[in-house]
Amino acid sequence: MNDLAFAGTDGIIILSAFAIIMLLIGYLSGRGEKNLHHSLSGYYLAGRNLGFIALFFTLYATQYSGNTIVGYAPTAYRTGFSWIQSISFMTIIIGIYLLFAPRLYVIAKKRNFVTPTDWIDHRFKSKAVTLLSIFLMLWGLGNYLLEQLVAIGQAVSGMTGGTIPYQIAVIVFVAVMLAYEWMGGMKAVAFTDVMQGIVLMIGIIVFLIGGLYLVGGNFSDVTRYVAEMEPAKTAVPPMEVNINWLSMLLLVGLGASIYPHAVQRIYSAQSEKTLKKSFARMAWMPPITTGLVFMVGIIGIMLFPGLDKTGSEQLVGLMANEIAAINPFYYWIMIIFFGGIVAAIISTADSVLLSFSSMLSNDVYGKFINPKASEHKKVMVGKVCGIIAIIFLLWIAWNPPGTLYEIFVLKFELLVQVFPAFVLGLYWKRLSGKAVFWGMLAGAILAGLLTLTGYKTIYGIHGGVIGLGLNFFICIAGSLLSPAVSKSKVLEEDLTAINLKA
Amino acid sequence: MENRTIKEPIRKKWIWVVLAIITLGVVPWYFPDAAAEPYILGFPLWAFISTAFSIIMCGYLSWLCVNEWNIVAEQEEAERAKGDKS
Repeated sequence: MNDLAFAGTDGIIILSAFAIIMLLIGYLSGRGEKNLHHSLSGYYLAGRNLGFIALFFTLYATQYSGNTIVGYAPTAYRTGFSWIQSISFMTIIIGIYLLFAPRLYVIAKKRNFVTPTDWIDHRFKSKAVTLLSIFLMLWGLGNYLLEQLVAIGQAVSGMTGGTIPYQIAVIVFVAVMLAYEWMGGMKAVAFTDVMQGIVLMIGIIVFLIGGLYLVGGNFSDVTRYVAEMEPAKTAVPPMEVNINWLSMLLLVGLGASIYPHAVQRIYSAQSEKTLKKSFARMAWMPPITTGLVFMVGIIGIMLFPGLDKTGSEQLVGLMANEIAAINPFYYWIMIIFFGGIVAAIISTADSVLLSFSSMLSNDVYGKFINPKASEHKKVMVGKVCGIIAIIFLLWIAWNPPGTLYEIFVLKFELLVQVFPAFVLGLYWKRLSGKAVFWGMLAGAILAGLLTLTGYKTIYGIHGGVIGLGLNFFICIAGSLLSPAVSKSKVLEEDLTAINLKA
Repeated sequence: MENRTIKEPIRKKWIWVVLAIITLGVVPWYFPDAAAEPYILGFPLWAFISTAFSIIMCGYLSWLCVNEWNIVAEQEEAERAKGDKS
């Protein structure tokens, strides 16, 4: 997203305004909350008291990042109509939530879970399983956070036409994020998400309207143009693409639903009713988010034909320049929109960072290093370690990897291996810790090896999905051969559906 | 009695069978090559039908969240009401 010469000083003004609003929200949400910094659930889960508006927007703004626009529009540009899959793979996430969220919500409230690991630990009582899943989840989160940091810099320096260089952009916005997160924890993250989510939603709609205006207002003309110039992009997808599509549904659906920050949003809900209502609304978001971004990418084919891979990555910036040139109204809207992209990236990064530090504080420090520490101390350790982690990731971010989409798939490959432990464990009493451990390990190794050796997909199936297949097989076969014998009454109670209500 | 009010999606097979059918409708494996035309609202025929299934999926999942999931909602409401009074 270079050469966004349209913004410059005006861009800096809008970005500064956004930064100030975020800081203000962070300050206000932390003010007067004495318990916030003295309790893990207060700081990391907003006291398990998020209402509908905050919960819905924090789910939305966390799930849809700036990358959803900046990375998906170019993908639609390159692959054509088969990228319509981005609607379905974002929707299926809600279906996967329905597999486990209803029961997990009840158990988490009852047993005061703070992190996803709390459930794994409670269920299997195995250090090996707990450690391995902490590792896989932190790995996935770290990679995800890294991706957001890279994206912030690209978006800001693009928007200000290079007036603010990449590095300074990242440092300023990370500092803003750390500041409001320090002050208000999850509460600040969720409330800033309300603002960030609204800007993102409006931005996408206006961007599409602007794009349609540029091509004469008729999407059918665009399709006819694409069909004539690049028929492969409108043709019925070949079988391998369809298999890949199905594999993508599995990988994103299973992976995104058990992202630690996603699971923690289940824990943070004020009530079951709030959670249900938020998910019910979230199910409708993909068509008006990834669906509209998809259309933007297709319009891009007509506006800027013949871009290569690197060139197409600049698509959103190129289009914004054209749209801004229409008239002063669009000019200002585009500047706000670009601020919105930055806000959307931050809103994802802040949630991931919060989840990352909650796992360091509650799981690594609280379970293995110093279990007797006070909650205040644990929160403090999490905050400080989060900052250290960010500094480390920034150091990596200065050498950003290739295209955004490739890192997106990479992070799921390993993270998704926690899924069987998480979900099978909720319903199947015989599932044993040993089988889960070996399944998770074998799945992660296979997925990692396939990816590293260049076999990211085989016949269109992602390495992560193949690893997950092996993982499931080992979990089930191992538990059938040597079932778990549960001695814990508490656990027995949690796994019996009827007792859930008591 | 208590058991009857609990609704947990995992325990109803039909929910997942219908979801699987919708998913098979979303992935355009069943179209002949000629299905690129006609264009409907600017979408090639196959993409239009696939998108229609995607939107059905949105509606279905949204409906499930509200109507087929009920474990502790009433209990929580009751507790809240009690809390408000005291």
